[in-house]
Amino acid sequence: MQLFFQDLVNGVLAGGILAVAALGFSLVWGILNIINLAHGTFIMLGAYITWQLFTSFHLDPFLSVPIAFAIMYGFGYVLQRGLINQVVRAPILATFLLTFGLSLLLVNLALIVWTGDTRAVSPAYSGANFTVAGVTVPWTKLATLVAALLITALMHVWLVRSKLGRAIRAMAMDVGAAQLAGVRVAHVYAVTFGLGAGLAGAAGALLSLSYSLNPSMGEPFLIKSFVVCVLGGLGSVQGALVGGLVYGIVESFASQLDVTVLGQHLSGSGLQDVIALVVLLVVLVARPTGIMGRAAA
Amino acid sequence: MLRALRLLFAVTASVAIVGGAALSADAADQTIVFGSAVSLTGSLAKEGKLTQEGYDFWKDYVNARGGIRVGKKTYKVDIKYYDDESKPANAAQLAERLIDQDHVNFILGPYGSGTAFTVAQLVERKKIPMVEGNGAAEKIFNQGFRYSFAVLSPARRYLEGVIDLALHQKPRPQTLAISAASDAFSLEVQAGAVDYAQAHGLKVVYNNKYPETATDVSSVISAIKASNPDLILNAGHLQDALLVHKGLKEQNVQAKLYGYSVGPDTPDFTTALGKDANYVFGGAQWSESVKYHADRAGFYRTAPEYAKAFAAVYHHRPDYHNAESTATCLAFQYAIENAGTLDPEKVRDALSKLDVTTFYGLLKFDSRGLNVYKPMVTNQIQNGKLVTVWPAGLAAAKPQYPTPPWAQR
Amino acid sequence: MNRLLRGLGLGGITGSPQAFAVSLGIMALLLALPALHNGYLELTFRNILMFAAMSYGWNLLGGYTGYVSFGNVVFFGIGAYCSAVLSAHHVDSLLADVPVALVCAALFAIVVGVPILRLRGHYFGIATLGIALAAADLANNLDVLGGSGGLALKQVPQEQFSLYYYAMWAVALACMLGTFAIARSKLGYAFVAIRENEDAAQVLGVWPTRYKVTAYALGAMMTAAAGAVYAPANGFVDPSIAFAVDDNVFPIVMSILGGMGTAAGPFIGALLLAGLNEILQSQFVKIHSLFFGAIIVLVVLFLPRGIVYLIGLRGGMRRYLADRAAFRV
Repeated sequence: MQLFFQDLVNGVLAGGILAVAALGFSLVWGILNIINLAHGTFIMLGAYITWQLFTSFHLDPFLSVPIAFAIMYGFGYVLQRGLINQVVRAPILATFLLTFGLSLLLVNLALIVWTGDTRAVSPAYSGANFTVAGVTVPWTKLATLVAALLITALMHVWLVRSKLGRAIRAMAMDVGAAQLAGVRVAHVYAVTFGLGAGLAGAAGALLSLSYSLNPSMGEPFLIKSFVVCVLGGLGSVQGALVGGLVYGIVESFASQLDVTVLGQHLSGSGLQDVIALVVLLVVLVARPTGIMGRAAA
Repeated sequence: MLRALRLLFAVTASVAIVGGAALSADAADQTIVFGSAVSLTGSLAKEGKLTQEGYDFWKDYVNARGGIRVGKKTYKVDIKYYDDESKPANAAQLAERLIDQDHVNFILGPYGSGTAFTVAQLVERKKIPMVEGNGAAEKIFNQGFRYSFAVLSPARRYLEGVIDLALHQKPRPQTLAISAASDAFSLEVQAGAVDYAQAHGLKVVYNNKYPETATDVSSVISAIKASNPDLILNAGHLQDALLVHKGLKEQNVQAKLYGYSVGPDTPDFTTALGKDANYVFGGAQWSESVKYHADRAGFYRTAPEYAKAFAAVYHHRPDYHNAESTATCLAFQYAIENAGTLDPEKVRDALSKLDVTTFYGLLKFDSRGLNVYKPMVTNQIQNGKLVTVWPAGLAAAKPQYPTPPWAQR
Repeated sequence: MNRLLRGLGLGGITGSPQAFAVSLGIMALLLALPALHNGYLELTFRNILMFAAMSYGWNLLGGYTGYVSFGNVVFFGIGAYCSAVLSAHHVDSLLADVPVALVCAALFAIVVGVPILRLRGHYFGIATLGIALAAADLANNLDVLGGSGGLALKQVPQEQFSLYYYAMWAVALACMLGTFAIARSKLGYAFVAIRENEDAAQVLGVWPTRYKVTAYALGAMMTAAAGAVYAPANGFVDPSIAFAVDDNVFPIVMSILGGMGTAAGPFIGALLLAGLNEILQSQFVKIHSLFFGAIIVLVVLFLPRGIVYLIGLRGGMRRYLADRAAFRV
């Protein structure tokens, strides 16, 4: 029974991290209809920014979160305004390939700047934990979950209340109408993409506490972001949160499976990804808009 | 019509360029050229770079002293590199390019067992000898290949030393938990460790695997914790070794011994974990403090000498990837010197009969091409430094056992 | 000349007739390549032909029906593993490998295609990606497929190795001619109708599901055939080789570069991109991935509709600039 609760807690904590990682991706996809294949790379850059600040200035990673956000926001804005806006209305594959090429470029640049050495951010308090009712909870993962919830809440409030936020949501509904209503589309596109990149950077900063860094670290997070977005529903902050938590919990429990079928040993932990993907496929076929998404118009 | 001609020209030009780029000049005559497809980019970029450093270190040493004696002449050495981007499919293609286009004399093996397999098949067809120091999966050598040799100890051996060491401690441990990443190499390490443990009376209370690119292993950790083992072992690579060890601390999992197949021996492990890295054991092909004395003069005869000279050039202490790569080159050097010729068949035969001790250990191959004669060493991180603690004859320090609880460090 | 080509049926939705003629010409030239007795050149062009076949496989669904698959590599893997498993049971003939691969891939495509082809746009893409990833992971865990250690295949002796080149050439040619024939036929028009406006097509009596699944299955067969020949040529298959990310992405890039929805585009794209990769790899050993990424970015920015489109373009520079302005926001 204790194992059950430990797994539940582990799942929630892991899910919180995934939600943060997927948030930016979900917004960009849902609102701009751009699948940003460089999203994992943005996360990686956020993590490296944090590492650099930690190593050179001993800045605590949690304090790096807003800095990573700001830097990556700027980077994303410039990227969208300068590059991606050029092909936004081309056949959808154009953005797919553009972001793929960008990802390749950025990963290799990172390899040149920081080399392939594995880095880690290990402040003095990493690994510290407390135990409640037989369940051990690591402090850093809990803090990451709290940070994730905070970021999610802030983003939601901003999208609903602020003028720019409303412009973004208007654009998501109908670009032409939004333009007629006075929205400067090129600028708002860039802001949205910048937000997506900024959120990825913030996620990277938080993730740097739990994972080791190398230029290729972003890829698994990109794939999991896909799954989280579909599970939870695109374009909404709540969707990413719900999707992340559900995914985290499912993965955690599925990993404890251990069966033998027709002489073939199948271990849940080895098949983690398969199980998650099967869940994805089932959701896609049964309810493509995800748990929190509205039914298709 | 014009448009068609333009297109035809453009496409033919690119075809010609492909063909032209593919064809290049032969290497100079008085040089032995080794070819190597290493992972300079991609997920294995770090290990690829270490491999390249090991090869280059040997090359520069040999060239500075005139070269290799082949019969009555002395030949300089050159190594031609290509980047396989950490992809096995590329490695075979690049190896073929090295053989057919660049006309290299011999092949130095790539990093990683998947890549090594594809290249091993290729050299078998082309009848060019290959020695490698970085792909320890036995599957490669159970195919009956005659042209591939590996200087490193096979995968199944990696954690045997750690288990051996533990069994000699008092009180004798009873239970063992082992997790592994899902790649061929790690699974072989795991299988070897499990068989060895069971053969020596240990009870294996957890034996499972996780995906290679796992981002979260918390459930593996919680299951290990629930099984309450004396010894915790992991077979994987640096990334997941870090993930697992961090996770063990986070979920407060106490064991008498923590052992990893890959990880502790890389300096990055200690830098990343700080004092949490202390007491951790690792199975390794080599360490700086291992006590060998080379048979032949001409290269550094002991591990500390090699380490010092290496660090002076590359500004970091060598780890076993560097050493095993250098040993790969030494194997070729001694085989060529023994054979007295560059003829591939004769060098292959000389390799199969090789029997020489170096700073890295004994270089000798069984009928499959595997070096089963060199023992794995077991290292432990003590006070931030990596020292060899097992087997006793090669050890520089005594093992620290049992590991104190997390809270008391 | 144009009239002659149009008389033969080239043009229209098969794309630029000149491009197709040129492609056939190059294929004829490639038939003579083994006479050069250069193993490396053979290997390089065998790979180009393999990518051409895979690009055709993607192009049939992605270019003609507009359903973008992000996971076509699963069929390549199916083809490769069919050959590998047959070899493990001592059946080592390409004449057995390819048909088995075709059947397996078609069955898989039909079974999987019916549910997921109900999805539109990006959702369909994600579903295909999910299937590809799941297949790779599953292969890693199944002992009958060799698990992560993979399976070795018996190869023909060195003297007969050109057999694999010719086989891949035949596969690529079949894909090229097949795409051409399909595009000219009723199937081709149905595909394009679905791409342009699926609902209207349905109203006009074109049942989408039937045609979409057909396109998916045909494309799957093309890709699987490439995999089935690749496996014995390479001699070794493991999950990372069978389901490589490169094999997933390159065919898409190649089709786009060449011109999607045409009969020559995938081949031209494969030739150019693989050629480019080759040059980069030999000249810029350490940073060729960097250059490659930059080139993809440049291609997308300046050639979003591909090269074959450019060739057939009337109105030249002005039209090209106007097009690009239309893509911008």
